[in-house]
Amino acid sequence: MAKKSTPAEKAARMLDLVPYISSHQGISRKDLAADFGITEAELLSDLNALWMCGDNRFDLIELEFESGYVSIRNAETLNLVRSLSTQEIISILLGLDLIKKDLPEERDDLIQAISSLQTKLGKGLEHTIEAEPAVYSQVAIQVQEAFAQSRKLRIDYYTASEDRVSTRVITPLEILHKEGNDFLIAFCEASQSQRTFRIDRIREIELLQERSEKIAPKILPSATINTRISILRDFRKCYESLGVDTPNSDSEVSIETFSPQWILRTVISAGGAMTIAEPVEVRSEIASRTKAALELYG
Amino acid sequence: MYFRAVDVQQKVPTVSRKSERLVNLTIALLATKKWIPKSRIFSAVDGYEGEPDAMERMFERDKDELRKMGIVIEVGTFDPLFEDEVGYRIRPDSYRCDIQSLTAIELALISQATQVWKGAVLDTTALSALVKLKSLGIDSDVDSLPGLAPRISIPRDDFATVIDAISNFTTISFTYIASDLGRQSRVIEPYGAGTKGGHWYVAGRDIEKDELRLFRLDRLDSKIELQGKPNSYVIPSDFSMADVLKSPEKKLSATLKIRRDKAHKLRAIGNVIEDGDEWTTLEYPYLRESELLEDVLWHLDDAIIIEPQSARESIQKSLSEIVKSHG
Repeated sequence: MAKKSTPAEKAARMLDLVPYISSHQGISRKDLAADFGITEAELLSDLNALWMCGDNRFDLIELEFESGYVSIRNAETLNLVRSLSTQEIISILLGLDLIKKDLPEERDDLIQAISSLQTKLGKGLEHTIEAEPAVYSQVAIQVQEAFAQSRKLRIDYYTASEDRVSTRVITPLEILHKEGNDFLIAFCEASQSQRTFRIDRIREIELLQERSEKIAPKILPSATINTRISILRDFRKCYESLGVDTPNSDSEVSIETFSPQWILRTVISAGGAMTIAEPVEVRSEIASRTKAALELYG
Repeated sequence: MYFRAVDVQQKVPTVSRKSERLVNLTIALLATKKWIPKSRIFSAVDGYEGEPDAMERMFERDKDELRKMGIVIEVGTFDPLFEDEVGYRIRPDSYRCDIQSLTAIELALISQATQVWKGAVLDTTALSALVKLKSLGIDSDVDSLPGLAPRISIPRDDFATVIDAISNFTTISFTYIASDLGRQSRVIEPYGAGTKGGHWYVAGRDIEKDELRLFRLDRLDSKIELQGKPNSYVIPSDFSMADVLKSPEKKLSATLKIRRDKAHKLRAIGNVIEDGDEWTTLEYPYLRESELLEDVLWHLDDAIIIEPQSARESIQKSLSEIVKSHG
């Protein structure tokens, strides 16, 4: 925990430590700290404070933790598992919902177990939340397996900007999480170079028997191009499709991109709401591809 | 060996004082069967010191903190004839978790559910829930779960405020970016939150419009602020976030022609009617004409609209405009 706890957070943790230690007498300080998501130093500070507490000045909680293992006595009053706060319930419900939607259909038993658990915990709140997996988890599981077993993967990958589906054999190097998307950095056999794949665009995935060698991911020099775009209407939509974070009312945008194809298609699919001034090559390709499309209509 | 407080009194850092006082107050209020008056709290609970006024303020703040932690403090009187003498207590039944049993599988699923938050907004909240449930003394059965990898990713730190507001039925306000980039002040009674297509949404009654509205969280241009008091509204019993986020049925259908081995996205959604040498004819479902145009335009000169005529005319108009502005 990077952030320092407030006194109320610390008090809440002290209250929860009592029943936890009671049901895990003799737990090591290390495990106890890990279970509470705090450092051992924070745990010691909590235990030292808890030790000072009691029904009154003559009937204090007794704690033993000098040995590295923690046990508790004389804490009858506090030895109650606190009820879950609504925020805690919602956090669990959201997590469960995500897992439920992610399970393969044949795990009907677990799907039903989650549904009944949601009702048991939910107290009517289960209808206020709705989760959708951010990552296509069946793909993510295969990727994790590939890392764990040092094996290669075969993927069918859809490149939207080039309107292309390709099959490749890859060695996964690293997973990156950026702006709400998960990316897989991998070494691609066909191109003999390092490539970045968006995990949700992997259409098929297969774990191969072939072992992979350990390759360290490199930071590749990024060949970006600078663009200059004017927005004429549909402002919010255009900004969002360009991935510009905080739109202001300025209709001139300069963005950097790795993919001329992506910017070309983004500008065209805005249907006239955007025009690109630079780079000139992209501008003239937009003109020629659009003219070609128009000719198809006769 | 067990240590007694007197041995270490001087070692306890003062930063712990307030947390200790909160814990001591909880113990005192939990242990009592009778109402405890303030005067008794001040004399018996460690940590209350100073002028009477200061202690009063301290006690008011402490009560607030405990309430925020979800601990319900009851207020009552000893004698109906002397209403000025009020007392306080916490009922063990309201303090204690009413879930008394979980199966090993259920606990394992809850563990997984907290993993989903790793590194995200409600990380510590989920963990504290797990710790409480583990205190029930049940062993979890993680081995029977398949390898699960879902993860929640919420770009906004103040998502916790939304959950807080829904939990306590508290009105929230924020600035929303309209489609023309205009900034709108919105005050809503949040009913639910959820994710779809990689975006997070909050739904609730817009007080000014008196209507159920849906807001995408990445279109908020301000912090989310809590307004007014908790319990200021009721979530309708028929409200369902899943229904609110459900995609409307694509009732319209277009006929498209796409080039062979091209327009993969259109091909994946549509139904092939005729597969020619150069072109494939597709039946393509859509919701709005603007979305149809966008989908087809993305594929440049590899896709064209045959039907409906109105969309065919619109796309020609768009294409002409692009040719003109890029000529």
